[in-house]
Amino acid sequence: MSKPYTLQELLVIAVAKEIHDYENVILGVGLPTTAGALAKALYAPHATLMMESGIIDFKPLLPLNHIADAHSCRGFSYATDLFSAFTMTYRGFVDVCFLGVGQIDKYGNVNTTAIGDYYKPAMRLPGSGGAADFMSYAKRTVLTMLGGNFVNRLDYMTSPGYLEGGDSRERSGLFPKGSGPCMLLTTKGVFRFDDVTKEIYLSQIHPRVNVEDIKMEVPWDLKIAPDLSETPRPTDEEIEFIRNFAPAQSAGRELALELTVANMMRKAKVI
Amino acid sequence: MREPADKIMTAKEAIGRFVHDGDQLVIGNYTVGSCAELVYEVIRQGKKGLTLYSQSGIFDVEVLVGAGCVEKLVTTYVLRAGGKKGGSAVERALNAGTLQIEDYTNFDYNARMVAGMHGFSFMQVLEGVMATDLFRKRSFMGEDKFRVIKCPYTGKNILTVPAANPDVCIVHVQRADKNGNAQYWGAMGSVAAASLASKRIIVSCEEIVEHDIIQSSPHLTIIPAYRVDAVIEIPWGAHPTEVLGYYNIDPFMYGLFMMSDATADGLKSWMDEWIYGCVNRAAYLDRYIGRFGSEILDGIRAKAFYSAPANYGSAFTTRWDREGRERFMGLTMAELEKTFQERGKLYE
Repeated sequence: MSKPYTLQELLVIAVAKEIHDYENVILGVGLPTTAGALAKALYAPHATLMMESGIIDFKPLLPLNHIADAHSCRGFSYATDLFSAFTMTYRGFVDVCFLGVGQIDKYGNVNTTAIGDYYKPAMRLPGSGGAADFMSYAKRTVLTMLGGNFVNRLDYMTSPGYLEGGDSRERSGLFPKGSGPCMLLTTKGVFRFDDVTKEIYLSQIHPRVNVEDIKMEVPWDLKIAPDLSETPRPTDEEIEFIRNFAPAQSAGRELALELTVANMMRKAKVI
Repeated sequence: MREPADKIMTAKEAIGRFVHDGDQLVIGNYTVGSCAELVYEVIRQGKKGLTLYSQSGIFDVEVLVGAGCVEKLVTTYVLRAGGKKGGSAVERALNAGTLQIEDYTNFDYNARMVAGMHGFSFMQVLEGVMATDLFRKRSFMGEDKFRVIKCPYTGKNILTVPAANPDVCIVHVQRADKNGNAQYWGAMGSVAAASLASKRIIVSCEEIVEHDIIQSSPHLTIIPAYRVDAVIEIPWGAHPTEVLGYYNIDPFMYGLFMMSDATADGLKSWMDEWIYGCVNRAAYLDRYIGRFGSEILDGIRAKAFYSAPANYGSAFTTRWDREGRERFMGLTMAELEKTFQERGKLYE
């Protein structure tokens, strides 16, 4: 039996496994960076990690503060600009990108802009950033939803998933053939999309979670994979990598913040 | 996703594998540092029916046309040797009806590459050309040489050119790593756009360097590794043109070429000696030094004038400080793991 792990570590690993060797990968801040670093260290040493700020082919040594964080690495291979980072995606050179989710619907369409009325929002979220364009043109998109919700109807559609399902994404003529979301990760499980209907279904379930917990969060009758499995237990190597690379990620946001503040207070008293 | 193939090879292998008869071939370099050895290898392999893109044709276009490799030429500028009394391979081929040419301005040509590089299907260009024969006289591109559209914002007529995405680019740079990251500096011209617009990219360089060199100077990289198909180390690979930091133009060899290029026979005997007669660049240099000594080449070698290094450093490269404490939370790994345990964070 491998050593004990935290839920956050399990989540990073589930995402990292979506990166295959020799792929070109657009990373976002937070969990995806740690996943990218893990993938490059253990599963995909030749993957080219990229950020939309134009930092191309870097090896993260630290978790990123933002998508223009060249302080997280020691140099990189190619310094280009944001415009070119998007047009290289448009031309089909990006295999996989990672995006966060505020709201998601049955067909993987995503809202990261506003909850409630767009003009008088109950909650104003960040917006598109790179999301809408990356989700349009990356060959695959991996979605992560740590605080968001499944909804029947998005309050605002920021990024295109499979539109109305079926072949509607392809029929629109706006997107490369075969592109779209390939996975959604939440704190409870891993979801994928049906090949034909493009409806989201539960594919893996994390430990200490049961299917009913997940169904309660989904406002429609969620489909479950016939071969539903439990998210695989991390190996020692994976756990150790993440814990060393991004200890605050292992701890989770709340605990990391609490410990950081406590540490600062301690230091302040010493002075 | 690229195959994990070894990209380092000879010019002969690269041209053999990646340049095919009938291809659209672009010379990535612009006026300086032309990819001479790659051009010569295309000729030695007798490639036929090429559509050649050249921002500004010098000896490179002349020898490709003179060797009969090119059926169509897209360019903005061609070379002519010997003034009024002279001539050029392009002129002779046009008269013989073996070559068709489309003339653009420098800007129009570059705009076609920029559109191609970014995946756009056309690009707005400067409309003054509409008053000229550049716009009116068309050859193999016909209607698609330029098209005019109405601007949806101002209602003004806008001149456009179609994107170019050549099948293959040959380009010479100062240095590259074995993965294909190509670094080039000096006159940027349209080198990056011509390379990135292309479907396949063959890079020759003065030196293959360690990846560390690239990593500490990413601002010099113009082509990222994942776009490159072949990397060939060819010292003096642009001779008789110049490569900043390596050597100047060789006026002697350039002079020999210009004297020969004015007539078909002259060009043929020059090519027999310097292209067909040399199996590769090493043989070319041997012949050169054998015939003329090494003094000329030594005299055009660059003296160093180094760019100031850019500092890519940051405060730290790990989240753990010297005492093994996490920088923000202030705990050692053992303390952190104990906290995880106490807070019920751990899954057994």
